Order: sequence, then structure tokens, then C-alpha cells
Amino acid sequence: MAKDKNNVTAELPELFTVSPSPHMKTADNTRTIMIDVMIALLPAYVWGVISFGLRALAIGLISIVSCILFEALAEWILKRPVTVSDCSAAVTGLLLAMNLTVTVPLWMPVVGAFFAIVIVKQIFGGLGKNIVNPALAARVFLFSWAGDMTRFVSFGTKVNSLSPVLGDADIVAGATPLASLKAGTVPDKSVLDMFLGNVNGCIGEVSAILLILGGIYLLTRGVITWHIPVAYIGTVAILTFIFPKTSASWNYMLYEILAGGLMLGAIYMATDYATSPMTPVGRIIFGVGCGGITVLIRYFGGYPEGVSFSILIMNLLVWYLDRIGMPRRFGTKRFAKKS
Amino acid sequence: MAYTFKGGIHVDEHKLTDGCPIEKLPEPDYVKLSMSQNIGAPCIPAVAVGDHVCVGTVVGAVPEGALGCPVHSSVSGTVRAIEDNLMPTGAKESTVIIDNDGEGTVADTVTPFEKNINDATREEITDIIKNAGISGMGGAAFPTYAKINSAVGKAKLLIVNCAECEPFITSDHRLLLERPEEVIAGIKILMKATGVPEAYIGVEDNKRDAVPMLKKLTKDADFISVKVVKTKYPQGDERQLIYALTGRELPQGKLPADAGCVIFNAATCAAAYNAFKSGMPLVKRIVTVSGGCGKEPKNVEVPIGTPASVLVEYCGGLVKSPEKIITGGPMMGQTQWDANVPVKKGTSSILLLSADYSKKPSLPATCIRCGKCIRNCPQHLMPSYIAQFVQHDDMEGAEKYGAMNCVECGSCSYNCPGKVEIVQYIRVAKASIRAAAAQMKAAKEKSEKN
Repeated sequence: MAKDKNNVTAELPELFTVSPSPHMKTADNTRTIMIDVMIALLPAYVWGVISFGLRALAIGLISIVSCILFEALAEWILKRPVTVSDCSAAVTGLLLAMNLTVTVPLWMPVVGAFFAIVIVKQIFGGLGKNIVNPALAARVFLFSWAGDMTRFVSFGTKVNSLSPVLGDADIVAGATPLASLKAGTVPDKSVLDMFLGNVNGCIGEVSAILLILGGIYLLTRGVITWHIPVAYIGTVAILTFIFPKTSASWNYMLYEILAGGLMLGAIYMATDYATSPMTPVGRIIFGVGCGGITVLIRYFGGYPEGVSFSILIMNLLVWYLDRIGMPRRFGTKRFAKKS
Repeated sequence: MAYTFKGGIHVDEHKLTDGCPIEKLPEPDYVKLSMSQNIGAPCIPAVAVGDHVCVGTVVGAVPEGALGCPVHSSVSGTVRAIEDNLMPTGAKESTVIIDNDGEGTVADTVTPFEKNINDATREEITDIIKNAGISGMGGAAFPTYAKINSAVGKAKLLIVNCAECEPFITSDHRLLLERPEEVIAGIKILMKATGVPEAYIGVEDNKRDAVPMLKKLTKDADFISVKVVKTKYPQGDERQLIYALTGRELPQGKLPADAGCVIFNAATCAAAYNAFKSGMPLVKRIVTVSGGCGKEPKNVEVPIGTPASVLVEYCGGLVKSPEKIITGGPMMGQTQWDANVPVKKGTSSILLLSADYSKKPSLPATCIRCGKCIRNCPQHLMPSYIAQFVQHDDMEGAEKYGAMNCVECGSCSYNCPGKVEIVQYIRVAKASIRAAAAQMKAAKEKSEKN
């Protein structure tokens, strides 16, 4: 490099770093997004712990810690960089715990974490490469122990016992609102109780209001877009309004959208980046599909809840939905029409 | 209501110098005039070592019949050397170095245009602009006379690009605040040259303070209107500005004239006016010196060819050690090897960025499929998919997904939480697709010959 005799480099380095543009980047990264998701989930989870007792807290901690450990272990064995600091495994752990009932044996979150992280996520290539939602796939895998997965306590009876396995005598069993809906009657809880979360169910799914507030937080932070939750919940609302099982359409519709895991599923699980479409149009079709399948399963399936299955089924169509949803390229079509 | 477009991103503006009046740089000791100031053929040095030159003397001539603008000396003095400089792109640029004698003698070829603008013909104006070596001053540096010629008979609307959407840069903003009459006079000249009946001045709403003055100055010229556009990157991309102001989408490979528009940067308008008024070719420009490492970021009017190091010194030296030196904005500007890089006609800013801006991510770059790049792409592509095709060496797939439509604005890379260098993958695709097309063409020609 030719040096000029009067060049001023007292403090300037002789050579600078040369790199392709852009030279500025956002401060947001995968970790900040995952932490945002956890912040959004936390109120609903804390409500679960308050409602269902200390055992709910234990299940959450076991689930999160196992997910992180399995992720580190799997990545170490597969000779990949260990990426637990991106917090994605912690989010999976939290979601898995929120999808379990408080009465499950304490080994279940561990088995679920193994299935979610090792089988569903790491074997398919790790973060962003899995084709189905890890936490939901684990939940469905755990239905191999259907009795344990569907033992709900009646609302208001706290389970503080931390013994690994609970006997039937240890709990006060209660039917969930979904079971009533399946039978064709509205639950004995008011719509307001359902909205606030004064009902039984899985640890993290009961309080619709807290889940919605968390969803609004994610929307304002730009973590999720409205397309999937609105399309999903909207489809369930419209279908149950048109085809109610009781005579009061409005009432029945409200129970259907507030019951079970719909809010948790539509806002937090169906919007999982890796397993949902990236295009707005794809996301809307995805949401509508999830809603349709959920109602079909709830009405005609053998099991009262359809959220998990519907999302897992739609997960498999994501690549096709993105092709359908491919945006109209700038400068095509409209130019010819307007000029 | 502000006009806008779909897609794009909000970047931290860092407009550190929007309150700094334009200062005139004291005469530098020497200037380095690159023979490749603009798009088109590089100039051929028209002087020899030891020649005496004045301000406005042609030092680089356009090859016969080629697209390009002549380069004029920005100082008076003696030609010290003509050398090849290695550019970061790997290309070599011929550069004429002139030692400044400080006299500022103006060449006798520099004379004001004798006629009134209303009496001048379109061809006369275009000739003045061509001989004054004016090329686009917003960054891309397309020869202005060629743009005028492409617009004649096709364009119905002249758009003045005052978006200045890149962070840090404020040179156009200050020009609009301090010398709006030059810009508006230039608009009228360019309207006459292109034969366009109407003009819009597109100003981003972070420069609202410039709007009242522009409106006042255009009160008696109802064919010029001031339009406020939303502050969003890349609003200054001509495709996005045309869309925001007219609703027309310019397809890939078409010129603004095909959408009935011709678009000039604010500084280009002012340069056209100065060439008309005093006959002085384009030998100086306003440069924003900023980036966060300098002591006093400033807007400085400098002779073309001033080395960046001189500007850094003029702006009080450094308070922070810089990692990169950039000509242009941080989103689309070019990093340079060293601080001797000279200001060119298209250099709107010299930025010194610290290592804070280029921190290495602690985790491996991974697409988490958040879809932000798709939402942000002003060309409405699916950048992450193109990047994945490139990762799997599937250039056909990349082409099918519109890699060639990419304008390389970098919105995708900027906002990627997975820290994937998306736009760089797309550049790889574009280069590879172009090479394949060239190869195919060559093979076809060969088989036709046989």
C-alpha cells in the first residue's frame, strides 16, 4: 500500500477491517427472543403454581433443568457447539411443564424433556430444524401413560406433595371443562371463571387472561405476529358458533375458546418459529387449519382436547404453506396494471 | 399523512450531525482523484506527472463514446503522481494525485452559462451537466446526463430524493436547511432538461424542519410539491420512493423512466445549479463525518479527492479506536482498507465505526425461522429461503425464489436474530447465477460459430 508522506495516522489504525454490508445489526438475538417468550409465559405459569400448589413448581423446574441438560448432552455427543445459552431449551421445558397436569409422576417431565430435546429437536438438526413442536410432541408421547396424563385435580385443592408418584388417594379428582363440553353440556363454571383461570386443567393453560396478556406483550415486542393466534382462535370461534352443541351459541362458543389448551396452543405453541410458516398468508392458512382440526377432534375425536394434535398435524405442512404464501414480488403484476 | 412503502425496517438513526452547520474544509495539502467516480467506464488520465492544473481543469477524460463523466481537478497545483490503487473489491483504480498550491486558481474554461435558463435548449443544459462531470451524489453515482437522456419523452414526474434513510448521514439534510434555493433552482434546470412538467420533493419526516422553507420557496412554483415520506429504511431506494409517492412498482431490470419517473438526489440538483450559474464543474461536495469514534462529528464541504484522514483530523481526531472506516452509510456503504481513501462524487459520508458495531455473536448463526426477513424485505422476497438454497448450493432454487431481485439493502441481515448474514448469501447466489448465465451465453455463441 502506497503511503502518503503527509498522512495523518496518529490514532488511526494503518489498516481497517473490511467486511460486507450492512455494518450495523440489531441488538436482538435468539436469546432475547426466547427470554421474551419466557417473560410472557411466566404470569400464566405462576398462576398455575398458585392454583395447583408447589408440585406445579417442582414439575416446571424438573422439566426446564432436564431440557437444558439433555440439550447440552445431545449437542456434546453429536459434536455440535453447545447452545443452551440461547434459552430455547428452557422455553421448551417451560412449555412442556405448562402442558402437564399437576398430578403426573415426577419422572414424566424428564422423559418428556428427553423426547422433546433429543428425539424431536437435536436428531432433526437442532434449533430451527425440527419439523414438529418439541414440547407438543413430547406431550403427545407422554400420552403413552394416558391415565397419568389425564388425572386432573378439582380446582382449589392444592397439591403440595413432592413425592415422586401420587396415588389416587392423594388427590381430589375433578372433571375439566373440556370433558363437559365433550359430553355436550356447558361446564358448571361461569365464563368469567374460565377467563380468569378459576378452573382445573393443565398447569399453564387455565388462565386465559394471563395468556392473552402475555400474547399482547409478545406482539408489542415484535416476537410473534397476530396472524396465527387470530386465525386459530377465530376459526374455532366461528365453527363452534355455527355448530354449537347447546342452544346458546354465544355462550357455547365462549366456553369452547376458553376451555382446554386453546389459548396456550394458539398464542405460544402454534407460533413456534421453527414449526410454523414464515409468510403472513401461510400463517393465516396454518391458523385456520389448526382451528378446523381442533374443532373436528373436539367434536368427533376420541379425546376431549384437539389442540396438540391439530398443531402437530399442521406442523407437517409448513413448507407447503410457505410456498403457497410466497409474497407477490415487488414490481410484478401491479406495475402492468397501473402504468 | 406521510407516504411510505410495504416492508423495510426501523434502524437506530444516529443522526449525530443534524444540528451541525456545513463547514468549509481548509484547503487540503493534496487530493486523490479516482478515475472511477461513477457507474460507467473509468476515465483516462488527461494529465501527466508534473503538469500544472487549476480548479476545474479536466484531469480524467471519458473514453470516446463510453458512458461516464469527466473528472475535474478540485484544487490548483501540480500533478504529483498517477497510480493504481487497490480497492477492497479487488479491483484497481487509477488515481491522479495533485499537490495543492493553495492558490485556488480557477481554470479559464470555467465560465458561467451566458443564456437565461428559459432561453436554453434541452441539449444545451444536458451538455453543461455532462461537461461538469455531474453524477448522482446519493451513492450509486449514475451519470446525470445519461439519466436525463433516458427520461426524455418517457418521464412525466421528477422526484427529488431527500430521504437520506441511512443512519448517521445528514449531508442532504443540511443542504436542504442551508441552501434550499440552490436545490430548487437545480430542480427547475433538471425539469427543463428532462422536459418533465411536475416535480415532487420527497423528504423523510425526520427532516420536517426543512419542509416549511422548501414550501415557502416553491410557493410560486405550483408544479413543484413537497411530499413528506415516513422515516423508514430503505426509503431512499429509488424503487421504494417511487412507490411511496406514486404507487407504481418498478420491476427488476427497468429504469425509473419506465414508470414515468426520473429521480435525482438533492445534492445532484444543487450541483446542476452551480454548474449552470458559475460554470464550475462538480469539484466539491458535502460530506458527513461521523460514526461515533470521532471527537466532533461534522458536516463538511470538501474538495472531491480529499483523503478521509484529513477529514478525521479536521473533526478533532478520535476519541475511540475505530474498527471500520466506511464510505457511505452503515447499511450499504463500503468498508475501506485505510484512512487515505479519498472522497468521491458519490461519497455522502465518512463513518468511523467502533468494534461495538461488529461484535461477533456468541452463538453459531442459525435461522430460527422467525420470518422477520420476509416481512422486512422491500422487494417482497423470502430472504431466509434464498440463503438456505445457497447453503445447499442450489442456485437454481435461489434464482426461482427471486435472488436476482435483491437490491442488497441489508434489511434482512440487520434484523436477523439468528445473526445469519442473509444478504451476503444472496450476493453469492447473484454472482453465481450471473456467472452461469455468462457461461451459457458463451457456450451458445461458440456453438453458433461452429
